Amino acid sequence: MLELRRIRKSYPTPQGLLPVLQGVDLRLAAGESLALMGESGSGKSTLLHLAAGLDTPDDGEVRLDDQPLSALDEPARARLRRERLGLVFQQYHLVPSLTAADNLRLQARLAGREDAAWSRELLERLGLAGMAGRYPEQLSGGQQQRLAIGRALAARPALLLADEPTGNLDENSADEVLALLLALVRDRGCALLMVTHSPRVAAPLDRCLRLRHGRIAEASL
Amino acid sequence: MNAASPRTAFLTLFSHYRRHPGQLAMLIVGLWVASALWSGVQAINASARDSYARAEALFSTGLDRIERRDGRPLTLDDYLSLRLAGAPVSPMVEGEIELAGGRRVEVLGVDPLTLPEISGFRTAGGTGSLRDFLQPPYRTRLAPDTLASLTAEDDALPSLADGRALPPLELAPELPPGLAVMDIAVALELLERDGLSHLLVAPDARVELPDSLVRSAAATPMAPGQLTDSFHLNLTAMGLLALVVGLLIVHTALSLTLEQRLGLMRTLRALGVSGRALVGLLLSELLLLGLLGAALGILSGAWLARWLLPDVAASLQALYGERVGIELALPWHYWLGGLAVTLGGLLTAGLGTLWRAARLDVLGLGHAQAWRAQFLRQLRSMTLAGGLLWLVALGLLVWLDRQPPAEGLTPGFVMIAAGLLGSALWLPPLLAMLLVGAGHLLRRHPLAQWALADLQLQLPRLSVAMMALLLALSANLGVGSMVGGFRLTFLEWLDQRLVADLYLRLPPAQYQAAVDWLESRDEIDTLLPRASAEATLLAKEGSQYQPRPASVYGVTPHPTLTESWPLLASQENAASAWRAFARGAAMINEQLALATGLAPGQRLRLSSPSGPLELPIAAVYPDYGNPRGEVMLTTTDLSARFQTSPDSIAIVLERELPPGAIETLRRDLIQALGIGGGSLIDQREIRRRSTDIFERTFAITRALNTLTLGVAGLALLSSLLAQSSQRRGQLAPLWALGVARGPLAGAGVVQLGSAALVTGLLAVPVGLALSWCLVAVINVAAFGWRLPLYVFPAQIAATLALALGVALLAAVLPAWRLWRTSPRILLTEFEAL
Amino acid sequence: MSPGGHAKRFLPWLALVALLAVLALQQRDTEPPPEDFAGLGEQAEGYAQARPGAALRFPRDHGAHPDYRIEWWYLTANLEDPDGTPLGIQWTLFRQALSPPDDDDGRSDSPWASRQLWMAHAALSTPDAHFVAERFARGMTLPDSRGQAGVKLEPFAAWLDHWRMESRSTAPAGDTLDRLQVTAQGSDEGYEFGYRLDLNAEGPLVLHGEGGFSRKSADGQGSYYYSQPFYRVEGQVEIDGETREVSGRAWLDREWSSQLLGSGQRGWDWFSLHLEGGAKLMAFRLRGGGEEGGDFVSGSWIDADGRRTSLAGDDLRLKPMTYSPVAGRQVPTQWRLRLPSRDLDVTVSARRADRWMNTAFPYWEGDVVVEGSRSGVGYLEMTGY
Repeated sequence: MLELRRIRKSYPTPQGLLPVLQGVDLRLAAGESLALMGESGSGKSTLLHLAAGLDTPDDGEVRLDDQPLSALDEPARARLRRERLGLVFQQYHLVPSLTAADNLRLQARLAGREDAAWSRELLERLGLAGMAGRYPEQLSGGQQQRLAIGRALAARPALLLADEPTGNLDENSADEVLALLLALVRDRGCALLMVTHSPRVAAPLDRCLRLRHGRIAEASL
Repeated sequence: MNAASPRTAFLTLFSHYRRHPGQLAMLIVGLWVASALWSGVQAINASARDSYARAEALFSTGLDRIERRDGRPLTLDDYLSLRLAGAPVSPMVEGEIELAGGRRVEVLGVDPLTLPEISGFRTAGGTGSLRDFLQPPYRTRLAPDTLASLTAEDDALPSLADGRALPPLELAPELPPGLAVMDIAVALELLERDGLSHLLVAPDARVELPDSLVRSAAATPMAPGQLTDSFHLNLTAMGLLALVVGLLIVHTALSLTLEQRLGLMRTLRALGVSGRALVGLLLSELLLLGLLGAALGILSGAWLARWLLPDVAASLQALYGERVGIELALPWHYWLGGLAVTLGGLLTAGLGTLWRAARLDVLGLGHAQAWRAQFLRQLRSMTLAGGLLWLVALGLLVWLDRQPPAEGLTPGFVMIAAGLLGSALWLPPLLAMLLVGAGHLLRRHPLAQWALADLQLQLPRLSVAMMALLLALSANLGVGSMVGGFRLTFLEWLDQRLVADLYLRLPPAQYQAAVDWLESRDEIDTLLPRASAEATLLAKEGSQYQPRPASVYGVTPHPTLTESWPLLASQENAASAWRAFARGAAMINEQLALATGLAPGQRLRLSSPSGPLELPIAAVYPDYGNPRGEVMLTTTDLSARFQTSPDSIAIVLERELPPGAIETLRRDLIQALGIGGGSLIDQREIRRRSTDIFERTFAITRALNTLTLGVAGLALLSSLLAQSSQRRGQLAPLWALGVARGPLAGAGVVQLGSAALVTGLLAVPVGLALSWCLVAVINVAAFGWRLPLYVFPAQIAATLALALGVALLAAVLPAWRLWRTSPRILLTEFEAL
Repeated sequence: MSPGGHAKRFLPWLALVALLAVLALQQRDTEPPPEDFAGLGEQAEGYAQARPGAALRFPRDHGAHPDYRIEWWYLTANLEDPDGTPLGIQWTLFRQALSPPDDDDGRSDSPWASRQLWMAHAALSTPDAHFVAERFARGMTLPDSRGQAGVKLEPFAAWLDHWRMESRSTAPAGDTLDRLQVTAQGSDEGYEFGYRLDLNAEGPLVLHGEGGFSRKSADGQGSYYYSQPFYRVEGQVEIDGETREVSGRAWLDREWSSQLLGSGQRGWDWFSLHLEGGAKLMAFRLRGGGEEGGDFVSGSWIDADGRRTSLAGDDLRLKPMTYSPVAGRQVPTQWRLRLPSRDLDVTVSARRADRWMNTAFPYWEGDVVVEGSRSGVGYLEMTGY
């Protein structure tokens, strides 16, 4: 499904090049869920961005569905994201000018495969059925993150990439959102790559990797 | 707070601009442009006012003139015999001399020893200056601006085209521009004349004149103040428009910088800076920026005025015969006024900002949720205020309808201002409504739906720039239609009025000889003698107007003339009106009709040397370009009743003439009658001159209009640029969701383009309404004539294209920047806080 | 818009601009008056100079002397109307050359281009009013003594505009000034005034100083100066439309020079008195410029038959007694005049303090009454205050 080979990535800083990833290998099978852990600045988010095709590695290869991303131009990568991927951010990044229902359907519509029944079901299951007409700022943080998850799943992605999806939530909401996320992912047979720094969040996932000094440090909790 | 902390707090607040230099630039540019256009216009006004304040001082002490009946120059003996009989007359010669380099200057030769109204010359220090004035090498007295315009090129003292020197120059700031005054002895020599142009005499002096001389009363001043006031009011209105548009930019910029600094301000409050201190800090920031912007603006305003002034001077001279120096004369209050208006405008624009800063919620609670409700509230109050302004405008319109037209100038401008502002305030609600509606229609097109929703989000900030654009577009369209309509009407009218090929002006004594000579020529088809006189229109019992001066104009109602002469109103039809005219009825021009309410079928009373005349009015005719009321009679009637003889002849030539025949006739005529070439004007010349005058009149209007439109475009561009970093936060998620940067950038351009198109569409009715107000209210009040309203589809299309063009120009740069943004920058938007 | 309409609208405007020239010229009026009254003490290089020893010839010297810088024809008269109300008149024609005779660079031969400036003053005094008018004219280089102002000899006429002093006599016998008619009309603050007087000389011309050269300061410069003090006057004066018959005496002064005052002289006090018994007294005091910086006093005693005796400061004493505020200055309006050699000790008093001539060159000129050892009437002129 997703394969990262010998990925290297560094960022220019005033003090010179800062190596972030120094030869990372990672494989994720279809339907599998993987937690990527590590300290702040260990390169977790960078790795996620590379996987989503939002950024390109200095060296190494990202393959999605056995296809190297480097072979795609920007419109093709954008299309891939639209149709195959779902993204959930710590900051939700909902469109403030659209209602909850429209936010939820946005990616599916962009991908050209809106499924009204599935969208309705998602709203139900995310506990947002009564709030379809509300605007994002009229929802609580947990509701907003659930909506963001709904948006990512509404287009039926093959791979869901989540960057600290519960980072802004209190523990109760976090547990609730996480449970929902995992249930939905399993139901859909969707693969999940989740970046988190919290072992508690990482625990329910199939596998767990830890990034340290730009390398995969250990293969389990 | 200790003494150092306000400084720290101020620097902290101000550090925002180091991060966002674009916002600082936008603020300063807004202030700069607003204050530059406003002060430019004020500088022009101040300078022109100074020029005719000097001339107007003369009107109040008008002197009568004495001329020879036969139109020839007066001789020394004419003068001496009057003086020796005790008449306090003073000789004067006037003429134009050509200086080396082709510049021309009006020369006035006077005898300071006999000019009336002088108790004498207290020529202290011996006969000092008087002696210099009276004795070789004499002196040329002129105003500093005349001097500057004469010597601008090489700083050398001017000499005549034939190499003779002008007498040494002496500055006399009281003199009007364009005029050189010198002793009559040297003036006669420079002008190469023997005779005097005329004699001057105080109006209250009794003088017995021989029959060969005629005294004409000091011309009733045409109240240049009132006439030129309307011109200046026009300019001021344009300046105000520019100021408003500029301040809208400032307002946008201020709201933006405040919004982005809310967090910073909360932090400062949390760190112990009081709300009052915070307002004080913002206020001092505003003042600092205001001073900078005003200084830049006032300086550029002076520069702008210097650039426009020659056109203004030309317009004023063409329109009203007012001379205006083309050198700027800036009184101290210009500088102070520019500063005050800029700072005042800035504070008005910043008031909302300060208010919000003062009520800043330290914890920032509820803020995020409030913006939508707040914006809706804002839209509601905009709708309401816009409605109120429109009510004011309509109320004024109804009121104006019942007033005499001449009093409508200021209320007319107020009405226009209210209508324009009302429309501008209605723009954001209209846009918001359209966005909601379109969002429903386009819900199946996700990107379009997103773009519409996103535009709603941008609206609070874009709306001010869009309002500026609406104002500029409406003004552009309105003024454009007015000018275009005027051009059409005016040129058509000129063609109708100028039926003759040549116009010959000549002194009464030469009249018969000229007619005899002309009648002997084969080229001539018809001669139409014309005459003129001055009279007073007397009030009649029950009439609504005061007695007023009017010119009386005599024409010969020959079919050549009557068939094409346009009439605005007649009792039955044009043919019967001309028949009545030929039998002794009068026609009046539109100016007089509008000013007095006289209409065909009524009778008017006119003073004349043979006592008051009472004449029926046969028709009203349009008389564009003439500031005065005019009564038209047949030349025969006029000559008989005003005891004068024709003073000019309109010469209609045969239709089929060989080429060059006009020139031959012209030459022969000049030679045979011994007249100056200037007395013979051909039709093409008049047409050219009139068109010139016309073009000049509107040159400044158009220049200011274009500048205003530029400012509006700038407002749009700067508000887009200023929020571009914020926009990134809204665009990045969409990019992450799978919309490439290209379509995103394209969506931005389309968003702005459609908003501008709507603005342009709204500008069409507003502009047409403005155009109507200009032709039907402002023109009538300012000039005394009314124009038909023309609608030019091409101009409307051009306005829409202009709106789109401005918007696209403004949108393309941010879109290009977005398209070029590296993904890394977009990724930073996802970094966890 | 009629052809040429704009030009036409321009004309009246242009005509009025003339006034500005005047305004501009008058700008300088606000400077304080110079010590040197009316430029009479200016250096006079290039002009002819008055010198002792030149014989005056008449009628030639009744005419203008254009090569000299300044010149005047100065008539004053003490009159009475039938009710015995005392009236005074003044008629003066001044000529001033603006540049020396040989300075004709840049001057055209136009009649308007002349070196000469003419100025005339007319005044009429009643016990409670003082009417003043003045007129100016440029000299004109015209043949036959024509022009707006001038003086001609055969027959004698001096004029500026319609103010005239002309000979009524064509008889070859006697002097051309013996019988004159003098006219002037003017207005002062809205009051019209005028006069027409017939003058008959009852005595000869009197040449002052050394055969007509009158010294004006200790260092020698002076003027040519003669008078006709013996006029008997009949005529009419008109004030504000009301005409009165008048009669009395008049005194004509003729004087020309190129430098009247010496440097350091500030002005003069000048008396012309008709004394009881027919004698006349001319006396003047030039303030400053006398020996050791004192005043220069001079005069003529004229017997009723015209015989003249020169007077000088060692005999003639002029002393201001009372000063009055006039036009913002202190002017001596009462004098003590003593001439011990003639047993004369009189007080000379102005009939009215305010006889200020508010003309371009302002000065005091008015009728006076003589009381004391002899009575009489006369005129007093004071300048430089």
